[in-house]
Amino acid sequence: MNIMNVKKRVTVLLVTILITSCVQNDDFDIPVLAIEESVIPESGIIGIGAVLGSLAQEQLKDDAEAIITFDTPDQFVQGYVISSDRAGNFFKELIIQNAKENPTAGIRIAIDVNPMFTSYEFGRKVYIKLAGLSLGISNGVPTLGVLDGKVIGQIPSFSQNEYIIRSSEITTITPLELGIEDFSNNKLSMFIKINDVQFNKDAVLGTTTHTFAAEPTDQYDGERILESCTLGYSCILSTSTFSDFKGVLLPEKQGSIEGILTKNFFGDAFNIVINDPTALVFDNPERFDFSCGTADIAGTTVLFSDDFETQTNRKPITGNGWTIFTQEGTETWEAYTSDGTNPSQGISARVSSYGSEDERTIAWLVTPSINLDQQEGETLHFETSNSFADLSNLDIVFSKNWDGNPTTIANARWITLSEGYIIQNSDDFDEWYSSGIIDLSCETGVVYIAFRYTGSDTEDFDGTYELDNISIDYN
Amino acid sequence: MKTFQFRKKIFFLFACVGFISINYSQQAGLKGSIVDVFTNEYLADVTVTIKGTLIFTNTNDQGEFDFNKNVLPLGEQIAVILKKGYITKQFPITINQGIILDLKTIDLEYDFKQEQLSIGTISLSDNELDEGDATSSYNLSGLLNASRDVFLSAAAFDFSSTFFRPRGIGNEYGKVLINGLEMNKFSNGRPQWSNWGGLNDVQRNQEFSMGIAPNEYTFGALSGTTHINMRASQYRKGGRISYASSNRSYTGRIMGSYSSGVMNNGWAYTIALSRRYGNEGIIEGTLYDANSIFVAIEKKINESHSINISSFYTPNRRGISTAITDEVSALKGSTYNPNWGYFNGKKKNSRIRKIEEPIVMLNHYWNMGEKTNLQTNIGLQTGNISTTRLDNGGTDLITFNDQVSYVGGGGSNDTNPAHPSNLPSYYLRDVNPTALDFQKAYLAEQRFIKDGQLDWNQLIQVNQLNTQQGKNATYIWYQDRNDSNQLHLSSIVNTEITDRIQINGSINYKIMVSENYAEVLDLMGGTGFLDVDGYALNNANLSINELINNAQSDLQNPNRIVGVGDRYEYNYEMTASTLGGFLQAQVKTKKINFFIGGTISQTSYQRNGLFENGYFPGNESFGKGSSLNFADYGAKTGVTFKIDGRNQLDFQTTYFTKAPTIRNAYSNVRQNNNTVSDIVIGDQESEKIQSVDVGYRISSPKLKVRLTGYYTAIEDATDIGFFYTNALSGSFVQETLTNIGKEHIGGELGISYQITPTIKLKAAAALGQFTYTNDPDLTLTSTSESFTVFDERDNAVKPSPRPLGKALLKNYHVAGGPERAAQLGVEYRDPDFWWVGITSNYFSNAYIDISPLKRTENFSIDPENGIPFNDYDPIIARELLKQEQFDEYMLVNLIGGKSWRVKKYYVGFFATVNNVFDTLYKTGGFEQARNVDYRSALEESNRTVPVYGSRYFYGNRTSYYLNIYVRF
Repeated sequence: MNIMNVKKRVTVLLVTILITSCVQNDDFDIPVLAIEESVIPESGIIGIGAVLGSLAQEQLKDDAEAIITFDTPDQFVQGYVISSDRAGNFFKELIIQNAKENPTAGIRIAIDVNPMFTSYEFGRKVYIKLAGLSLGISNGVPTLGVLDGKVIGQIPSFSQNEYIIRSSEITTITPLELGIEDFSNNKLSMFIKINDVQFNKDAVLGTTTHTFAAEPTDQYDGERILESCTLGYSCILSTSTFSDFKGVLLPEKQGSIEGILTKNFFGDAFNIVINDPTALVFDNPERFDFSCGTADIAGTTVLFSDDFETQTNRKPITGNGWTIFTQEGTETWEAYTSDGTNPSQGISARVSSYGSEDERTIAWLVTPSINLDQQEGETLHFETSNSFADLSNLDIVFSKNWDGNPTTIANARWITLSEGYIIQNSDDFDEWYSSGIIDLSCETGVVYIAFRYTGSDTEDFDGTYELDNISIDYN
Repeated sequence: MKTFQFRKKIFFLFACVGFISINYSQQAGLKGSIVDVFTNEYLADVTVTIKGTLIFTNTNDQGEFDFNKNVLPLGEQIAVILKKGYITKQFPITINQGIILDLKTIDLEYDFKQEQLSIGTISLSDNELDEGDATSSYNLSGLLNASRDVFLSAAAFDFSSTFFRPRGIGNEYGKVLINGLEMNKFSNGRPQWSNWGGLNDVQRNQEFSMGIAPNEYTFGALSGTTHINMRASQYRKGGRISYASSNRSYTGRIMGSYSSGVMNNGWAYTIALSRRYGNEGIIEGTLYDANSIFVAIEKKINESHSINISSFYTPNRRGISTAITDEVSALKGSTYNPNWGYFNGKKKNSRIRKIEEPIVMLNHYWNMGEKTNLQTNIGLQTGNISTTRLDNGGTDLITFNDQVSYVGGGGSNDTNPAHPSNLPSYYLRDVNPTALDFQKAYLAEQRFIKDGQLDWNQLIQVNQLNTQQGKNATYIWYQDRNDSNQLHLSSIVNTEITDRIQINGSINYKIMVSENYAEVLDLMGGTGFLDVDGYALNNANLSINELINNAQSDLQNPNRIVGVGDRYEYNYEMTASTLGGFLQAQVKTKKINFFIGGTISQTSYQRNGLFENGYFPGNESFGKGSSLNFADYGAKTGVTFKIDGRNQLDFQTTYFTKAPTIRNAYSNVRQNNNTVSDIVIGDQESEKIQSVDVGYRISSPKLKVRLTGYYTAIEDATDIGFFYTNALSGSFVQETLTNIGKEHIGGELGISYQITPTIKLKAAAALGQFTYTNDPDLTLTSTSESFTVFDERDNAVKPSPRPLGKALLKNYHVAGGPERAAQLGVEYRDPDFWWVGITSNYFSNAYIDISPLKRTENFSIDPENGIPFNDYDPIIARELLKQEQFDEYMLVNLIGGKSWRVKKYYVGFFATVNNVFDTLYKTGGFEQARNVDYRSALEESNRTVPVYGSRYFYGNRTSYYLNIYVRF
């Protein structure tokens, strides 16, 4: 073997080694996005409504804390994702509903995964494998998860892909338009839209505008009162203090909101939770509330007053310039007396939907017209009491354009008088609560002041409200 | 002449000391010639000395030497024949008056252990090589070259795989010079070895001086000075090609070099090329991809002047691994690395460190007469260092009623497969886990065992879904990058005033300008990335507009969407310069060697913010910060008493100051201009270092012993760490520890004994104690909510440093390798050119790196209400704060080789097997600073498996290295 040969062989060897010595490079060869459609047999698909129905049956049999556990293989629930934790307002849960529009059922899935938006975006169709999961009420909301002792626990993150199967379908969700008065358990976990709402003036018209959830008093969730502008109802917009938009200021105007109907942590009140602030379209500058604030002392001269002592027990309120009007249902304001556990202070005015069989009751009690231009320093005060108020509502509104004709009440523009304390559901039913002294002096013209009751003959809405000792004074 | 008189006086002085006991004769002579035993070529530049004297001569180009001009001692003497790369020979001779002794031809054997030198750079543990910063490696190359010292050779070859550092001193306290230019980095004070990695063939001309021992180039440093001479004229004519295979870090290395030697026309050139590669080393997913080229050309203009240009370019990429907890290593093994995941069927590491910093040097050598030479060097270095990472903080801007906010910063943990939420311990963290907890723990365990790696496709898919929805990327792949340019000038003079007095001096100036920034490398299927800090929103004390301002990486250009190649997150320029000089005198007499030296220097740093950070508006982050200046000085002295020809006693001591590195001079250099002095009480000072060592050496032909004792004290040191802690409402913090005092005390022993000409026994031992001597001051900085206070000066709520008082570190051990190490070894060297060796190595007393934050007074205070815990038990607390000591272990290493001569080629191989018995051992580790208060630490310690357990680095299991070479 001569030297040249050695050199050649060495060269060949070196070149071979160099060629075979390639190492991973820094480039990405991005694959095409492909989510394969899972083959779920039609026969294995159960509606969300059916699943909720079986829970309801179990609850009837057993109790409210009933839990059903699924063990039949190859059963799937199908739905569309309506929650998004992209903005951090949902945590370790996924909410799906059974249709892209006009849903009839929705359900919450508890899972130990954060974030979820990276896999299940808004509108994505998913299948939930039932075998191995349990369904029960958690935080007041029907929730699918795994059994953790006697409660519904989160599906372990490691089982995510076993239980939640993505479809390739992404759809546009049309929100279900709903009034606050239409809230009910069978609308839970649906993507809804409420029109003509505004935030309570304390949150947006005070010296500092409140944020979604970054006030010093906010713990875990920031609860903000949303008021309906058409009826006196209000509900709570709940936002997590961990959400990305917690520090964003609430809008002053009024408009519509899209979100998910759910309950608060304790499961005892309806809440709306939004995916992000763009769910609020508050572009109407006409707020439906009014306030001159409160006064320290009432006016010295009476302009209008009534303690209802001249009324006849169990008869509709009449005389003294009062107008009563039943906008919906059958109930109206009537006189009432009792000296038992629920004293009436002699005779007072009362309204209730209990036993009315009304689908909805809207009952008005309107003062005579008050001309605010003829004197100075007008004030208003009254007293209220209630029984089993729950979600039935009494609010005080006033109008400057009503013509005094009962049939046109609903067509007039009524604005909430946002001062004055009205008894709350949580207050003692056997006590009377003073409104405080409401200042009216900044308003001008001829106005009507109305006490508007909203309720229905269902358990949560059939409360009773009582009114007494109303007085409008001036100096 | 005056000089003559001076010399005479000095001579007289030492003559008076009166140790002259040997008769000298002008008439006696000694001559001979030296040949290479393999090639039979005559060897030039071989040094021949008479042991115990200062007399020496060198062979000429024909390999001949002749002591004819020297006065030789009479009687029985030992001639020592030395040449770099060859085995030193000791030759008994008898010198008689009037007789010229002709030794004729003496063989010198090439030291095949030289081939071993190339192992050194890969037996370093992964951590040391990768980070070059996290835990420092010792000045290994220098040690390898100092292999004549038994102790240092043990430290280099057998101790280095365990984080062992002689005297517990890291390599930021060592200096590396190439052609007279100091290579230590401004950023961390450490030499970036990979800048000249893979060029082993051309780095054999190294001089290592231990500690502050005298050397010609610089003042010295605690862990020694290595000078690598890469002049073209200094390479022997010839070439070398080698191939190495290993399973440690690279799997293959191919290397070739050729040197012309000094040709007749005065030119010399050298070229070296190498490639090191591997898809993974012992640690999973640690790719290795390094190419190196070196070219040097020198022209000898005349006897006095030579001009040399040396340049090297060594682009390299390494896959990074990370320290893991006991829980993780129990499930996945000690070689587990969470940084990689399969992509297109191949392991892809998300964390890659890339270094590409070519250097060119111009050197002028001027022999100003026989006794003085001056070298002047200019070095230019340009290039970049980058480390890639995944960023999982992608957000989208939403606008609502003229307000903006960011959504999507969901704090997704899922890029790290070894995140606590993926491990069983996390689900069993409660005192009484439920059945579901156990189920989750089981599922976590199974998933982690089965998979447990990064899911690239999932990350890409998330981005693709975002793209479909018109949103920004959630995940991106980016790099932290440092682009720097450096100019370096030095002049080094070396003069022999007399035969016995040598003066060395140098001045040097170095200036560096670097740009530091994060840069998007890949959008991974996304369309853009919003450059804001999503975590900025988590501050209840601020309005949304203030939060949005805070979130900006650059207020000059807010809410920027960045794409591939864009800088984001941080961007600043750093200028650093140092001007220094040193002067040293060495006096050598027959009985005493003495040296004294001093140094002064001035170091300046200045940051120039190119982004205006939202948390630190205005000049606090944007534009030039104040200029930091450190003036340093030092002095050293030492003496060697040569008791007789075989015994000598060394003593040396030093005091010097050392400016903090850039890393330790800025508390949060990425975000603001604040220096350490700005955030601590009082000014940051240079480190003050004092050291003394005393050594005793025996060197007889058969027995060589060195025993050294040392004491080193370091004061006013600074250390800055970055981590996430659960304390203070959960914050990412910068921990600045100032006024650190440390003490390194101990001894080193090296013994070698030549039983027969072929068998050598060797033993080495190190016994040390490296402890903190005081309670340093701890200051935390952070941009998180709990650090913001109302600043009256700026009338704004701003992040503010939080002094936490003293960290009670006194008497804790400084982490960094075993404090005790011992070796027993035997070597057999067959006359037939093969050799084998075995060493058995024992290590103990290595300690974990403790968390200073856990050892402040806050430990006993309830973070909920700020008052001391009512259930605080000092005995339990002591137990909780005890420093973990790693188990002792024993490693057995084998080495062997053989060489042949085939015509004019030398062919050889050598192989090593390290850790023959596959011992599993921890080389180091650190406490996590998550749970730093009594109650949470107690809670953690009560768990069977801690959720935030300490993280460890593991040493290599059994590994091999095989090298085959041809020399010509």
